[in-house]
Amino acid sequence: MAQPPQPKPARPTSAAALSPEPKIRVWDLFLRFSHWLLALSVTIALLSGFFGGLPKLWLHLIVGITALVVVVLRLTWGFTGPGSARFADFWPSPRAIMAHLAGRDGRHLGHNPLGALMVFALLGSVLALAISGALSLGGLYKIGPFAADGFALGSVAREAHEIFGFLILALIAAHLGGVLFESLRGKENLARAMVTGQKVGRPGDHAPMERQARMAMSLALGLILLVGGTLALVKLAKRPVDGLPVVTSSLVADECGACHMAYPASLLPKQAWQHLMAGLDDHFGEDASLAPETTVAISQWLAANAAESADTLPAHVFSNPDPMALGQITATPGWKALHHDIVAETFKRAPIFSQGNCQACHKDAEGGRFSPLALSIPSPKK
Amino acid sequence: MKPTLKPTLLFNLLIAGAFIVPMASQAQDTSPAALIETFSLEAGRAGDATAGQAFFLATHSGGKPDTPSCTTCHTMDPTKNGQARTGKVIEPMASSVNPARFTDSGKITKWFRRNCNSVLGRECTPGEKADVLAWLSSL
Repeated sequence: MAQPPQPKPARPTSAAALSPEPKIRVWDLFLRFSHWLLALSVTIALLSGFFGGLPKLWLHLIVGITALVVVVLRLTWGFTGPGSARFADFWPSPRAIMAHLAGRDGRHLGHNPLGALMVFALLGSVLALAISGALSLGGLYKIGPFAADGFALGSVAREAHEIFGFLILALIAAHLGGVLFESLRGKENLARAMVTGQKVGRPGDHAPMERQARMAMSLALGLILLVGGTLALVKLAKRPVDGLPVVTSSLVADECGACHMAYPASLLPKQAWQHLMAGLDDHFGEDASLAPETTVAISQWLAANAAESADTLPAHVFSNPDPMALGQITATPGWKALHHDIVAETFKRAPIFSQGNCQACHKDAEGGRFSPLALSIPSPKK
Repeated sequence: MKPTLKPTLLFNLLIAGAFIVPMASQAQDTSPAALIETFSLEAGRAGDATAGQAFFLATHSGGKPDTPSCTTCHTMDPTKNGQARTGKVIEPMASSVNPARFTDSGKITKWFRRNCNSVLGRECTPGEKADVLAWLSSL
């Protein structure tokens, strides 16, 4: 490892030459920008993910995609950027880590070996979050590149996404602790150095490796990865998706839709529809009886397109009915779990009026998709 | 029965037999006047708008507990929108503001059957139907 005997300013100026503590430019502009953009986007992603719920999923997606793009560009910069940005400069070999833990190495101007471990752990976590997040979005909501990959995979990915969320939270805590510890130990403000890019050189420093940024290569590589990646994801997203709800038949839309939203057949299992259609003369407290031939036609259509035929989230979570209230979507444990944080008054107020009025909040309810991106709870009318 | 009604009732008897029944589910197959006369014929008396208003606005017993009156969903003013218990808007019942009302014999049969059972716990009599239609088409 090259260890210059004296700290050497990257760009010698008369001021620096005169200064008793020469400022050294350690972090380049892109590295600093990517660090703070990543910090911001991951912070918002964590807040919206843990506290925002499904109505804030749009924000979660925007900052999540931003974080992914930053990480992809940071990865290319790790091979094409200037010395302190290169992975080769701070590759945390076991020997370097042991030396650092034993206190045998001096001050690192760039990342020290433990800091380097953190860099890779955080970059890896964001990638894991992006992949598991995209798989969840596809599997659970039929949105995006993995829409064709099924509910089962999406459910597993959703669990993993949450675990990775807690993992990166722990890593961030450790990162902040490490920065604080190293700042106190080295009597310098490392967070400010990530803003200004400069550190004060000291005798015996490990200087970053001497490499110029390869701008053209970096731009080309970044562009290829981003454009190529986007095209690949678009191609994945265009695959045909199985298990989407069918369009409601005009008979069902007319008859059921006369009093309430024509609930998509995929919202309830066959057994529940049969129970409902057999009791239309006392249908949630009203007589909703139909001519016998109409009852038969609608029953058959509902059975053919019931939850068993769909792979959407409602089809899965509402298919476990409450036996005491068979046929009542809002009585299923799945519906209750999804709506537990909404107070009863919200359902009663205009323009919602009842729990059964799905499309007051879910704009795509009649199509049976129930995408979180089509979800917005109307604010109370003043 | 008033003697002056006789020719019209006779005419409507023909209409009912030849037109309404075979095309029971088609829209625009009838009119408020034709329906009132049909129900009047069955009831053996003319529809009474005042009685219809009282019937429509009254609170009844014998039906389902959530729907004690026509006004539960249709509101006190049939020229305005009503609202089903589900939150869905119900178009005005008065044919003067909603000309599509009482032009589909299938719907008349279906909704009188359902709503009379919900509110009263029984079928409405032809006289009650004639009265209510007389009121709703006179607004």
